Amino acid sequence: MSVLRPLDKQPGLNTATILLVGTEDALLQQLADSMLKEDCASELKVHLARSLPLPSNMNRPRIDLIMFVVNLHSKYSLRNVEESLRHVDATFFLGKVGFLATGAGRESHCSVHRSTVVRLARTYRSPLLFCDPEVDGFRVPVAQRLVRMLQICAGHVPGVSALNLLSLLRSSENPTLEDL
Amino acid sequence: MEKQPGKQAATEPADSGAGGGEGEPPQVAGAQAARPEDRLTLLLRLRAQTKQQLLEYKSMVDATEEKSPEQILQDKQVEAKIEDLENEIEEVKIAFEMKKLALDRMQLSTALKKNLEKNNPRTSVLMDNMKHILKLNKLIMKSHQESWDLEEKLLDVRKKRLQLKQASESKLLEIQTEKNKQKDDLAVMENSDKIKAIQQNLQMEIQITTVIQHVFQNLILGSKANWAEDPAFKETVLQLEKNLTMI
Repeated sequence: MSVLRPLDKQPGLNTATILLVGTEDALLQQLADSMLKEDCASELKVHLARSLPLPSNMNRPRIDLIMFVVNLHSKYSLRNVEESLRHVDATFFLGKVGFLATGAGRESHCSVHRSTVVRLARTYRSPLLFCDPEVDGFRVPVAQRLVRMLQICAGHVPGVSALNLLSLLRSSENPTLEDL
Repeated sequence: MEKQPGKQAATEPADSGAGGGEGEPPQVAGAQAARPEDRLTLLLRLRAQTKQQLLEYKSMVDATEEKSPEQILQDKQVEAKIEDLENEIEEVKIAFEMKKLALDRMQLSTALKKNLEKNNPRTSVLMDNMKHILKLNKLIMKSHQESWDLEEKLLDVRKKRLQLKQASESKLLEIQTEKNKQKDDLAVMENSDKIKAIQQNLQMEIQITTVIQHVFQNLILGSKANWAEDPAFKETVLQLEKNLTMI
């Protein structure tokens, strides 16, 4: 299947699956480990991929949340993410996609400007998170946020849907986007 | 107690682009955190989850049923349309929250009513509170009324002051115009030709009288008569001192 579609399979009982797409394997692995260390009532499954499309021979569960990880230090990761975005169905962007930008702390090494990522997130109407995975203090809260988002996107939180979360997240982003 | 299967992590190695090699996914067992959970709690939680997921699928089906126009919209139009839809979502959410609030209030009031009917209404603390609230509300209304009256009075006084100011302004204006008129009249009068002619005649008459007087005086002096004895002569001679132009 060349295009990822949400809700195309039956959900596993009490499981939530997140797909992390990014070029840096070590980074993704670190994030995955932090996420799995979190206390969560449901089972978490973390899939890592360097880029989309995913090979279709795998029997993988329904993907609830896709996080595109962009490293601000390398333009290649941004291009990779932009390429992969084309293989995602439009209905995924109703709250089940997020962008994660790493390396914003070391301004001197940033070859991708922050506003580029912000604009990307704004075009796709998806939330943007920042993370510096080397610093342990940053990694844990981001992992917690991701776990919570994943739970909501998988439908494990009664009363809150992915779209609901999206509109909740949006109102806090907009004021900062006005000065772009 | 049933132990839950721990969290698993499945990692897939790099699949670079289309046509890349397919690798075997090594299964990495993540940390096993056994979570002791009551069976009933688990079932309830699963029930809630399934309900939520069912809701999501249903809404997805409903969304795909409604056919949207297939025309290719331009970027700006698409953005505008997306923003409109987002605003719609927000409005629906707000309306929902308001309705929930209203519903909660109604439920609260009925529960309160039932509670009151159950307990003895006379001695309940709730009744005391409500009576206190009513008393305070009456006080509030009274003080509102008083402040309103005072404001009215203030307004009246201010209005009167304004009226007085306006009246005094008009009066002063009148006075000024009158004064100006008088000044103009005076100026006109002074510059009138008649007065000039009269003044000239007066001057000429005075001069003639002076000349005649001088003639009489010289006559009297020249005749060597004793003018000091006759009062009429005295007066004529001594008139030399008086300056007739001042009369």
